[in-house]
Amino acid sequence: MQIAVLSGKGGAGKTLLAVNLANLIEGSTFLDCDVEEPNGIYYFSEYFIKEKVYSKIPVVDEKKCVNCNMCIDFCRYNALIDFIGKVKVLPSLCHSCGGCQLVCPHEAIKEKDELIGWINQTIINDHQIFGGELKIGKETGVSIIEKILQKTSDEEDSVIDCPPGNGCSVMESISGADFCLLVSEPTIFGLENLKMVYDLIKIYNKKSGIVINKAIKNNELIEAYALENNIPILGYIPFEKELALLNSKLNIVSEGKYRPYFDHILEKIRKEVLK
Amino acid sequence: MKQLLVLSGKGGTGKTTIASSFIKLANSKQFADCDVEAPNLHLMYKKGEMNSKSYFGLAKAIINQELCIECGLCKDHCRFNAISDQNGYHINPYKCEGCGVCGLVCPAGAIQYEKKVDGSIDLYQNNYRFSTGSLKMGSGNSGLLVTEVKKQLNNHEDNLTIIDGPPGIGCPVIASMSGVDFILVVTEPSMSGFSDMKRMIETIKKMRIKMAVCINKYDINRNLSKKIKQYLFEERISYVGELPYDDKVNDLINQGISLVESNNPVGKGIIKIYDKVKILL
Amino acid sequence: MIIVIPTKEQGEKSFVSEQLGRANYFYVYNTDKLSGEVIDNSYKNERHGAGVKTVEFLLKQNTDILITPRIGEKSLEILLETKIKIYKSNAKIVKENINDFLNDELEELY
Repeated sequence: MQIAVLSGKGGAGKTLLAVNLANLIEGSTFLDCDVEEPNGIYYFSEYFIKEKVYSKIPVVDEKKCVNCNMCIDFCRYNALIDFIGKVKVLPSLCHSCGGCQLVCPHEAIKEKDELIGWINQTIINDHQIFGGELKIGKETGVSIIEKILQKTSDEEDSVIDCPPGNGCSVMESISGADFCLLVSEPTIFGLENLKMVYDLIKIYNKKSGIVINKAIKNNELIEAYALENNIPILGYIPFEKELALLNSKLNIVSEGKYRPYFDHILEKIRKEVLK
Repeated sequence: MKQLLVLSGKGGTGKTTIASSFIKLANSKQFADCDVEAPNLHLMYKKGEMNSKSYFGLAKAIINQELCIECGLCKDHCRFNAISDQNGYHINPYKCEGCGVCGLVCPAGAIQYEKKVDGSIDLYQNNYRFSTGSLKMGSGNSGLLVTEVKKQLNNHEDNLTIIDGPPGIGCPVIASMSGVDFILVVTEPSMSGFSDMKRMIETIKKMRIKMAVCINKYDINRNLSKKIKQYLFEERISYVGELPYDDKVNDLINQGISLVESNNPVGKGIIKIYDKVKILL
Repeated sequence: MIIVIPTKEQGEKSFVSEQLGRANYFYVYNTDKLSGEVIDNSYKNERHGAGVKTVEFLLKQNTDILITPRIGEKSLEILLETKIKIYKSNAKIVKENINDFLNDELEELY
């Protein structure tokens, strides 16, 4: 079973849920796809083996280049410019599409590997931990996410900490999931962000459920939306200072007195997946 | 007059709550929400006459089924796995990055590129001017849309202009900084909040814009709050105050009650921060 | 000497644009001929890399001096490899920015 944990925005409690559920599922793999803010893995360990992730960027052979500028004109991302009569490559803008190499009539463009980030990995108890990390200044981590997702197979149990927002990297993260767990805060902002991610998972026709984090006495805002759209509410995590402190210190809270909340949510997810 | 931008790096640190309180305190007649991937400020200021323009992203590929000879060259060359070959060749618009390679290799001229609406640029006009925008799902981040949102602001506004910034440190954040006089960075005492704040400060320093930092929910980890303050002192960055963790804040926001007009300790803290920022401006 | 300034409107009476890469126009002033020219910024609506295309434009114009309120990270990196000098604009109109520069009253940005 693969569970993807999402929230429209950062700070809703996505990592809290993903880390603690992975901790409770025996032998599960934890995959942190939030490559711009890779902090889920640090709940498990401080030490990791770093695997480098590369993408292809063009290199221009100045001896063969005749400055026809066809590559510059072709590149939709403006990653090549005419720099005083030479073609200059700007790796930070390159999407590695390979177009410049194809369009060059003089075979003056080759590709080389450019480091775009890392996959941090370790094994703690019976859990395999993988976390993507985008190098600062790089635009997109989709290819790192693709690589992380290959670390697990359909037969294995895994939990994915997705990136925030509703961009292509989120879509990539949930593509193979059996269940999407939506984490939401009971505020007007939380509701707005919940609507946004729910619209996204609807496209993929995924099974889903909601956890209300930082739950207060009255969580009607989210409950009404869930009811209206027929999305099950799987549980509530209370709004407590002690929990916030433990979490800010990177403690796995599903070990101690907060365990029943997560046990309950996990049990509900299992039922929903079997439905 | 002057423009103030509120940023945080990590999402969920209370950026929008502080921005909306500042709008009230400054009696701001002009403000903007540059968090185009997940805009929230409009939930509080959705009044008055609204003008909406479409935002077009990069043109994406479309395969003309009548011209396609099913040679498969496009699929072979697409680095984004955006082409499927079930029941003829089709483009997945969510995966297509509009690079143009498929059109280049197609021997039958069956591929065209079309711009589609990727979002909107909105302007609300009441007794205030509120510029915002939103991106459709799967459209990715965009400095251009942020620039368009900012272009709707008037430069000769008398009162302080307040801008709620995008999360992260990427291109949209840089775009939101142009023309800004002062940046307030909101952080929280968590390991991720701290490291994001450091990245943010580096970026702002490069842009040479005046800045100050405040800590939200400082009391959830007082030790770390102390470390953040120490760091700011060493880096010679203005520290303008802290806000407590308070479980009543969400209730007040949901009821549409302004924090700074309530008796809430968070509201009082925001007023203190505002007064300090005003002096630094 | 060629001075280039990103502008909001056309001409020397315009204010300086707050954006460089996405400015509406560029004002290109030749100090030898004492004359200026307005050029439309054809890259202002680019989805990616408007800033670096501006650097390309500056090089094509044989620019010596760029006067701008600020500059993005990527464009700066490339500009520092060129001989173009970057000065910080003031809040006045384009013409006065040029005069202030010639009177040595503008601050070098990088």
